[in-house]
Amino acid sequence: MSGVQRIAPIKKPMFAAAPDSRRGSHWYRLAGVVALIVLGLFVPAAVRNPFYLGLMINAILLAIAAISIGFLAHQCGLVMFGAAGLTGGATYLFGIAVTQFGWTIVPSAVFCLLAMTAACAAIGAMVVRARPLPFAMLTLALSEMLHSAVMVTDFRAVTGGDDGLQIDMQGSLFGLSASDLSHAQAFWPVAWLCLCGVMILAWAMGRSRFGQILRATRINEERMRFSGFDTYLPRVLAFTLAGFMAGVSGLLTGLNQAFASPELLNFTTGGNGLVAMLIGGAGTVGGPVLGAFLYTIGQDQFGASGHLELFTGIGVVLVIVAFPDGAMGFVLRLVRRPTGGSVDAQG
Amino acid sequence: MQLVQLFSVVQLANALALASLLTILASGLALIFGLRDVMNFGHGALYMLGAHLGYSLTGAMSFWVALIVAPLLLCVVGLAFEYAVLRPLRHRSHIDVALVTFGLALVLGQVVTIVWGRAPLSMSAPESLASSMSLFGEPYPRYRIFLIAVGFGSCAALAAWLKWTRSGMHVRAVSQQPLVARMMGVNTDRLSLLVVCLGSGFAGLAGVLAGPYLSIDPGMGSHILISCLIVVVIGGLGSIGGAIASAVLYGFIQVIGSVLSPTLAVLAPYLLLFFVLLWRPQGLGRGRVA
Repeated sequence: MSGVQRIAPIKKPMFAAAPDSRRGSHWYRLAGVVALIVLGLFVPAAVRNPFYLGLMINAILLAIAAISIGFLAHQCGLVMFGAAGLTGGATYLFGIAVTQFGWTIVPSAVFCLLAMTAACAAIGAMVVRARPLPFAMLTLALSEMLHSAVMVTDFRAVTGGDDGLQIDMQGSLFGLSASDLSHAQAFWPVAWLCLCGVMILAWAMGRSRFGQILRATRINEERMRFSGFDTYLPRVLAFTLAGFMAGVSGLLTGLNQAFASPELLNFTTGGNGLVAMLIGGAGTVGGPVLGAFLYTIGQDQFGASGHLELFTGIGVVLVIVAFPDGAMGFVLRLVRRPTGGSVDAQG
Repeated sequence: MQLVQLFSVVQLANALALASLLTILASGLALIFGLRDVMNFGHGALYMLGAHLGYSLTGAMSFWVALIVAPLLLCVVGLAFEYAVLRPLRHRSHIDVALVTFGLALVLGQVVTIVWGRAPLSMSAPESLASSMSLFGEPYPRYRIFLIAVGFGSCAALAAWLKWTRSGMHVRAVSQQPLVARMMGVNTDRLSLLVVCLGSGFAGLAGVLAGPYLSIDPGMGSHILISCLIVVVIGGLGSIGGAIASAVLYGFIQVIGSVLSPTLAVLAPYLLLFFVLLWRPQGLGRGRVA
């Protein structure tokens, strides 16, 4: 730990185990977070309209994918262009487990997450050696390869080809049957709790020693190696973790929609998560979530007119040129005093 | 499947037709990357814009006018791209600039959709190239022969410029050692203006040439961009010769693979990319590592 502190000129709050004066506020914060999680469970009671609730669920699915991309971007400086390969791949794995193996929901879901994690560990072992730009292209190529692979006629029996894969689920998840899962009202708690879980996971990993090593490696890999740190394994782990989080998003998509289509593996699907992450800002865990909600609202407003891409493109350019910290960074800068904490402090 | 059938003249020519299109695009992409260190994710959008401009110009005047004017218009777009995007952002990280080009590609795609619509457009080859000709005893569309000739001709011209002229030498120098080249008095900004214009113009040329060969729609750019990125990476980032060689390789894999095994043809380019990046991260050519 002290090694990291000496070599890496990172802003202080990253290491802060909360200054003494604020130690008492820890419990308040914890209570606040728990209250927020519980309060979130009652959103369906407030939002009666199933259309808007469905929209919010879509936003949550996008948010989880965006957190995954943001985690890797912020901690390792590696931007995934092909996140669709991970999220869509998980949906397909779940679908294949249900249709081919004939398993019920719970074993299929567990299989989906385990297989995703294992696959991402293997892929990560190969791709994290690449520098950021080749990495972006490798992940893009990977997702395009999956996209082409599911459409190939030879695999049609397993993947359904162009028609997609109908997932007829048997059994139940937490007492919810397959038809319950497709209803926004019943599905909301599952999606909400998964979002909270992933956010807490990403936040805790970012705060931990593991996160510090990752960020220090991002800033100066050579120095870290000089100082005796392994710089390779942590990044493989980070990729695996990001893959797991993206897998959760893909699994939820499969549970909710009971359908896996090749469109899930499209470049643009991964682009949505990337755009949401950029607009929200990768510096905090909340950023991608904010970005995902903003993006979903935009999709609802402009999607019909077809101008969504226009605004998305302008938004991306504007955010990168003018607000590199994204919308969340902008908000935080307004809220905090100029000398206070930094946006970079992994929250 | 008989081997003779596999390696027929027609198949070879088909592979070369696809390769020539990719070569034009990939060499432009590689040029811009070499000089500015920018992976231009908007290259596909420029190609798509070129194809649409070519369609309109062919309708208004003729294919030959389109073949000259559309690339020139794209050069102007490249000029704007250099002044408005690349120069102000030159101190930002590679990924930031790549993401900006990605955003601009989305905008350009939408602008083209608003102007030309989303429906696929088709464009016919000019009269003189519409018929077939005999290629070693087999009938073959004249237009594809023309496509191959123009594609490889323009790339040969590009390679000659790089190899034998003073400005070409400067481009090579900057691509290999940007700092040293600048210290020796090479004006990088002026050179990059030239190269970005040229790269965009080449994208426009590829777009016009693709018109009668493929169908024209706003999605054509993102599809070919992936192939193009694969070609550039396999050839070695920033290397023109490598890009040309790997475009030919890619074309052959696609065309011959589709006869031999469609599954393999679809997956082979990606597998090739993976192996190249893992086994030889600098690519097959003598380009630099990103």
